[in-house]
Amino acid sequence: MIQYIDMHAVLQESISGVYADLVTRPTGRVVRERIERAIAGRGGGEVTVARMDFTGVGCIDYSCADEIVAKLLRDRPAVLVLSGITDGHCEAIEPVLSGHGLAALIERADGTLEGLGVAAAAAALLDELVARRLAARRPGGTYALTLA
Amino acid sequence: MTRLVEVPAHFDDRSFDQFAGAFAEASRDDERLLFDAHAAEWASPYGLVGLLAAGQAARRPGSGAAAERPLLTAPTNPEVLSYWARAGFFREAGELFEIHGKVPRVKAAEESEVLLPVTSVRAAEDVHAVVSKIQQRASAILASELSLDPKATMGFAMALSEACQNIVEHAGTGGWVAVQAYNWRRKLARRVVVIAVADAGVGFRHSLEPTQNKRFGDRWGDAAALEAALVQGVSRFRDPGRGQGLAGIRRYLVRWAGKIAIRSGTARIAIVPPWDDDVPLKDGLPPFPGAQVLIIIPEQGSAER
Repeated sequence: MIQYIDMHAVLQESISGVYADLVTRPTGRVVRERIERAIAGRGGGEVTVARMDFTGVGCIDYSCADEIVAKLLRDRPAVLVLSGITDGHCEAIEPVLSGHGLAALIERADGTLEGLGVAAAAAALLDELVARRLAARRPGGTYALTLA
Repeated sequence: MTRLVEVPAHFDDRSFDQFAGAFAEASRDDERLLFDAHAAEWASPYGLVGLLAAGQAARRPGSGAAAERPLLTAPTNPEVLSYWARAGFFREAGELFEIHGKVPRVKAAEESEVLLPVTSVRAAEDVHAVVSKIQQRASAILASELSLDPKATMGFAMALSEACQNIVEHAGTGGWVAVQAYNWRRKLARRVVVIAVADAGVGFRHSLEPTQNKRFGDRWGDAAALEAALVQGVSRFRDPGRGQGLAGIRRYLVRWAGKIAIRSGTARIAIVPPWDDDVPLKDGLPPFPGAQVLIIIPEQGSAER
């Protein structure tokens, strides 16, 4: 099963005000803790798979990227599929992942899955999804989620 | 008795050391300070937020009374006075200084050059407000006037966020940020966007001392602390994910041929782009509390990316 996480909604629940940006470590910490509560106990012993939808999120800074994405991956075996993501978001998340030797998958608008971070780690994530039939190879040779 | 601190006529990062020297000299005997800006002709965002930091540091501890605030004589040139008001300086200075001279009641940020008026930063919530505001104001200017790729707008907001968080996480007190665009004839003859951040907090050396002092041994000081933070990405926190902020700012600036300079205590470090002739590291400067950060992003045009 893939857990769906609406990052904009989690952000809105996490901070007072109407801000749409994932910035600052305190904000990142609160957002991550909400996500951790949401995914806790759902794995049933399997690697957690979560689809984090960034639609509606303005800016994400390096501190927040580290506090949310990198720490979620550092603290548990997980496959994070980042959707609704812009090049600007990737610019903050990619170096943070690479710095820790980690990777996530990004889901492009056409459904294509791509690696973000360390290539070998990203390939292992894709293998995990394919093995659990959560992703499949498409005619063009690219991969996409089967439930998308 | 009151001690005089002269505000340089052209007050920017280049004349800041002269100001810091006067401030250090006047602060020695713990008398009330008078910051004299009556002859000021121009001040950069760095000068304005630096002056606020000096005002914050000059409040004598334990006083609390309005009478114990330092004095400030406002610029007498009406244009300068009007500009300082539009840049949001007096809105923040009113709490820190006993101001002498007529201050115009002008709303801040009514012109395109002032992308973000002088704004106080005390908590994470303030950083959210700053980032939100700058994205509304700056994206058009960054793309149309500086010829930056629209993608660079988010990177700019990230850099601003990380620079402001430095205050929230490390200063131990509040600080200020200002962002402006202007024609920089002196160095480049093209437009630039400048981010200036200043606080009068504990500074980099004090912040990093518990974790880095032993590693550097005899070399430990303000310059070593700045080098550790900006070049080596060291943080006072043991969490391996820390230190991302300044590293991220550096990456962004390398990509857009930008510059960052950080002054803290008696030292100043800079990542110097090809168009500038600044010194990478200076030590033995007049002491000044906290940290002052300058970020410059030039109009792209013919600049190498």
